[in-house]
Amino acid sequence: MFHKLELPLSRDKVRELAVGDMVTLDGDITVSIGLPTHQRMAQAVADGQALPVDLRGGAFFHLSTFVQETADGPVPLYMNPSTSTRYNAWMPSLVRGLDLRLTGGKGGLDAACVQALRDTGCVYLSFLGGGAPLLSRGLRRVVSSHWNEYISQFRLLTLNVASLGPATVAIDAHGNSLYDQLRDQAQARMPQLLQRLETDRKASL
Amino acid sequence: MAIDSATLQRVTAQLYERSLKKIPDDTRAVLQRAETAETGTTGKHTLKIMLQSADAAQQGNELVCTDVGIPTYSIKIGTRVQFDGPVREAITRGFADLVQHIDPPILKMVTNPLTHARSYAGKDMPLLSFDVIDDADYMEIVCAPKAMGTGRWEAIDAFVYPTLEQIERFVLDTVLRAGSQPCLPIVVGVGIGGTFDYAARLAKESVLRPFGRTNPEPILAAMEKRLLDAINGMGFGPMGTGGDASAMAVHIDYAASHGFVPVAVCFNCWINRRTAARIYNDGRVEDLNW
Repeated sequence: MFHKLELPLSRDKVRELAVGDMVTLDGDITVSIGLPTHQRMAQAVADGQALPVDLRGGAFFHLSTFVQETADGPVPLYMNPSTSTRYNAWMPSLVRGLDLRLTGGKGGLDAACVQALRDTGCVYLSFLGGGAPLLSRGLRRVVSSHWNEYISQFRLLTLNVASLGPATVAIDAHGNSLYDQLRDQAQARMPQLLQRLETDRKASL
Repeated sequence: MAIDSATLQRVTAQLYERSLKKIPDDTRAVLQRAETAETGTTGKHTLKIMLQSADAAQQGNELVCTDVGIPTYSIKIGTRVQFDGPVREAITRGFADLVQHIDPPILKMVTNPLTHARSYAGKDMPLLSFDVIDDADYMEIVCAPKAMGTGRWEAIDAFVYPTLEQIERFVLDTVLRAGSQPCLPIVVGVGIGGTFDYAARLAKESVLRPFGRTNPEPILAAMEKRLLDAINGMGFGPMGTGGDASAMAVHIDYAASHGFVPVAVCFNCWINRRTAARIYNDGRVEDLNW
């Protein structure tokens, strides 16, 4: 199913999304691929401190972005996803503590994160790695940029986007993860694949 | 005649930039065939937007991926080649100059592993490996920027008198461990034998091999085919969200070794960054158009 999503999303709308659905996004998203950024965000959650941008009910993605400073202000030049699993350690506390509705990047998140997404009503979106030319067409403007002492892709950056995507719902808010399903499927297929390798090997020698 | 540093600086920088903005022609053709053959709805759509992305990057002189990786060059120098200046310094200058002028600008990906500080420069950067080609009057340069999406899942292990079955199991286990996380469909490079470092180098050079060349070793030609079928049978599919196309090719090379046999497995993502050129002693530059 295809969904044209207007942000911010209600929890009910998020629960309508199922793995395999494709979506585009309109509205404001916040992005960062910085490990120090994630650590700092998680520390703020743990300390009960507010982040410089209010992410409650919002969208936070592992998308890397180059922002060029111009006379007219900051301009986002391009955007592309990064591997999400390296943020596994922090994402459960960010999903719960910030009450996120959408997160994403590429490659998925681990079981603890899937549980957090299920508990709070949040989905994970898979963006196309190597999709910078297409994803960048969805960029409209920089809404805000915080923690600017970091390099561009590590900043806490809020962007306004239009028809951003398409992205695939890869983990839904009901505990279904395409990644878990596909890993389990691949593991289940291994004995059969190894048997076929042996048969083919014997035939080729 | 001699190869001058300015040419080397210019060509290596151009190879890096081209690898970021255009996928190889053979890779596009394989993705196109995969898109035609794909039976999964999500996989088919994902392959379609991959092709659109690659075409848009080429037409618009854009980056295919924002993770431009770290610059790496595999260089083979003909024994009849002469240089009129520095080699390593020229390549380093080429990269430094490129990051100042490339449009669009690239993100900082070169990371100090001890401090995690990021910049455009760092110790041993760009990464260079050298070999020789006997009696040639040219140098051959392959540029393959290496990013995190695939680099993180590569593996090496040392076996003792391994069977073909053990080697194949190790390759499959490495692909299974990577699962949906690299940007599939990937190219899988395998190096068997030699020593620890040599096996890794064989794997790296294998992953960069152009598509469609039959392995001259029949045992490996057969292994490449059955491993490709097995990997695509896993079902991870394009971008790891399900489908038939998990790998575009498996390329394997080997070297004689002792009773201990290192086996290395490396990956390239679907954009399969690799460009190559030859620079001749007389100043000619030949684009190998990979």
